[in-house]
Amino acid sequence: MPPWDQRQPIYQQLADLLAAQLLDGDPPEGQAMPSVRVLAAQYLLNPLTVNRALQALGDEGLLENRRGLGLYVTAGARERLKAAERRRFLETEWPRLRERLRRLGIGAEQLHWGDAR
Amino acid sequence: MSEITTTAEPLVEARGLSVRYGAKRAVDEVSFTIARGRVVGLLGHNGAGKTTLMRAMVGLARPEGTLRVLGLDPRRDRVALLQSTCYIPDVAILPRWARVDDLITLMSGLHPKFSAERARQLLRRTSVALSDRVRTLSKGMVVQAHLALVAAIDARLMILDEPTLGLDVLSRKAFYEMLVDEWCDGERSVLISTHQVEEIESLLSDVLMLNDGKLVLSTSLEDIDTRFVALSHDAAVAEQMAAAHPLLRYRTGPGPGGSAALFDGVPPAHVQALGRRMRPSLVDLFVALTRKPELDRTQF
Repeated sequence: MPPWDQRQPIYQQLADLLAAQLLDGDPPEGQAMPSVRVLAAQYLLNPLTVNRALQALGDEGLLENRRGLGLYVTAGARERLKAAERRRFLETEWPRLRERLRRLGIGAEQLHWGDAR
Repeated sequence: MSEITTTAEPLVEARGLSVRYGAKRAVDEVSFTIARGRVVGLLGHNGAGKTTLMRAMVGLARPEGTLRVLGLDPRRDRVALLQSTCYIPDVAILPRWARVDDLITLMSGLHPKFSAERARQLLRRTSVALSDRVRTLSKGMVVQAHLALVAAIDARLMILDEPTLGLDVLSRKAFYEMLVDEWCDGERSVLISTHQVEEIESLLSDVLMLNDGKLVLSTSLEDIDTRFVALSHDAAVAEQMAAAHPLLRYRTGPGPGGSAALFDGVPPAHVQALGRRMRPSLVDLFVALTRKPELDRTQF
């Protein structure tokens, strides 16, 4: 069973988990999301909690309801998520990381930026 | 108005319900309702009255006060009630000599709302074969088989008394997976008693907490998040936290920062400012609301 932490409501944690999967293309854009029942059984969650998480992803424009068919990943969902992640990284993670690099005395030339990938 | 409210009628309604064993009240003046489509956890220490309350709900204990289950009086309409509820008692045993397909035949003959086809379909999820004899099955497999058999009854309410007691973690997970996937459809409800509070918390929509026969909490999990406030804080402000009279103070982990306080209601702003707000966990609430008074001062 996934270790739900106490920092946030469980539905929010599930929404974050599903968003991370969408960013990796699982499921890909234009494809159906697993049903509430499947997700509830998979993560051992109350169906109401799963509903709330899916609702939150819908509110962010990542999922759309196709009448009679269920929830589908919207076109452009990954780009939207990536943009939000970039923003979050630059606004909250990067300042902390930069501060740590500065304190450790690590400069750009030691990070072998060009070697990655 | 009354036509509209009939579909929203609760599956279970108890008002001022008591069950007496001699002079002792095993269940003491409890009032609650269970609506449709809910997953309700019944929590309490040993002897708190969980089993007695469940037995009253299926007509096996004589209650005082008002109790309606599916609109029926469990004592008077016991036969009709048992046809529309699924019940696994804490002492549940399947006959050891029987084969699983014998049990399906038996249930088909006994229970008008039992579907043999549905039972076989549910059993396919498990590693139990129809030709297996109960005595050759592991404890986890027996409980899975039992759940498959009762979930094949076309009913609206399932009552499970300590269903996963003595099972290992994988068997418990498989049990709850089947329960969520095959039973919880937004219409049917289930009442589960257990000691494994942490494990079941995320599955529940509601909780009933019994302490010494009395209902100390009856609420939805959603309301718990708004009513109770947990604040994690550093040891340095422990005194000030204690002065604000929390329900409970506890350690959240090793190290100096690992303390928390649980409040019923939102504490004043100057207290909130001392810590970081967390989601209150059901197990902490359980400890706070059910511990014995004489343990009050030994928590820290």
